[in-house]
Amino acid sequence: MSMLTNSLKNLFSKPATRLYPYEEADIQRDCRGRIEYDMSKCIWCMMCSRRCPVFAIESDKAAQTHKVFRMRCIACGACVEACPTDAISMRQHYQEPGYAPIIDSYKQEGAPPKPAKKERAEAPAGPKA
Amino acid sequence: MARTTVVPLGPQHPVLVEPIHLRFEVEEEVVVGLTPQIGYNHRGIEKLMENDWKKNNFLSERVCGICSHQHSTAYTQAVERVMGIEPPERALLIRTILMELQRIHSHLLIIGLEADAIGYENLLMQCWRDREIVMRIVELISGNRVHYSMNQVGGVRRDIDDAKVKEIESALAKFDERFADLDAIMRKDPTWVKRLKGIGVLTRQQAWDLGAVGPVARASGVDYDVRSTRAHPFCAYHMLKSFKPVVREDGDTWSRMMCRMEELWVTQKMIRECLGLLKPGPITVEVRGHPNGQAWSRVEASRGELVYFVKGSGKPALDRVKIRTPTFANIPPLVPMLMGCQVADIPPIVTAIDPCICCTDR
Repeated sequence: MSMLTNSLKNLFSKPATRLYPYEEADIQRDCRGRIEYDMSKCIWCMMCSRRCPVFAIESDKAAQTHKVFRMRCIACGACVEACPTDAISMRQHYQEPGYAPIIDSYKQEGAPPKPAKKERAEAPAGPKA
Repeated sequence: MARTTVVPLGPQHPVLVEPIHLRFEVEEEVVVGLTPQIGYNHRGIEKLMENDWKKNNFLSERVCGICSHQHSTAYTQAVERVMGIEPPERALLIRTILMELQRIHSHLLIIGLEADAIGYENLLMQCWRDREIVMRIVELISGNRVHYSMNQVGGVRRDIDDAKVKEIESALAKFDERFADLDAIMRKDPTWVKRLKGIGVLTRQQAWDLGAVGPVARASGVDYDVRSTRAHPFCAYHMLKSFKPVVREDGDTWSRMMCRMEELWVTQKMIRECLGLLKPGPITVEVRGHPNGQAWSRVEASRGELVYFVKGSGKPALDRVKIRTPTFANIPPLVPMLMGCQVADIPPIVTAIDPCICCTDR
């Protein structure tokens, strides 16, 4: 009997889902979205590409570029935590789907900033390979 | 004399959610023999885990999409045991909250799938709608809906602040009504009860002999819950007073599902108690060096006991990781359950063990 009442209630109430592409997605405030670089802060310690479990970041120190393979990224946030200068942040939005692999490139203009000593000490020690 | 016919079911079949091959020997409409075969979903995760132990945390979550946090907790715990690390109390409580939230969404999922197996799609939709509440809570806590990436060796990676505690509590309050509804339907609804009662019976002795775990064992009267073992305490379960294992005696498909329903009530209480126990403090401890030695750890995942074994030799890469998943232990009990049942009863009986072949094949 209670299922019948439920069904009738559901029949006359508004849908539980939302028409996603036409309506905004309801994303929680601390969502792990796609990563963004603030290149003015990068000191080229390479921790982000070393810590990434899926090799989604390719860092080239000589060319001063970080390449982010969007389709490989699993939004774990390991790079954000590893970054000693907080140059990486996560956008509060999911990665958009695409038809081809999306590769974003971030290039630094000019010389990298000098690393502050205190912040460097806080950086977690990587594997001593 | 009745002729025996062989009916292959799977690895791809509409009634199976995941790839397992079940070879039935059928006499008219009655099952007289069964040979299960696994290995259609092997991805070599154990071999991949012979890698950097810090990165393995993320990989261990990918073993299963439903019990991702429970896998990662089991792995983290094993590495912590090797390295002799005691995570802080707050981290243990946050892990427990996520473990139990995951249990709610896993149980709601399987109740829905069981309803789907008997053709009760209305209940399926209701369960999955209610499941969305949990998915939103875990997104609030961890930032992700499925793979939370919350564990790290030595603690957890994100904290729960007071505003979030309030939001979680108000979301949990919604479950009072939803669970009462679901409980009444599962106890009284004729479609559900008549279809599931008395089929797929597993006796206490069979469950014990074949090593059933989780709700399958507890529905048959075997009081086996890793959360209640005091010899190997894990997470924060030893601090909780509201926990008591749910044990039922009948051992049929209906009581397996009812066991999960009653666990939902216990789980909801446990999350509330955990939220009350949260005290300000650190959420992680510093970790130095690499694991050197071997250890095993086990947790009570939504489907049953989950075991991880980790061996390291002081290098960044681990030597060996072994995973024993709950469904692997629950496949042998399928044979006595399905023996003598009608062919039409196969889908609800197979679904009631909550099979996760994706975990089992790793």
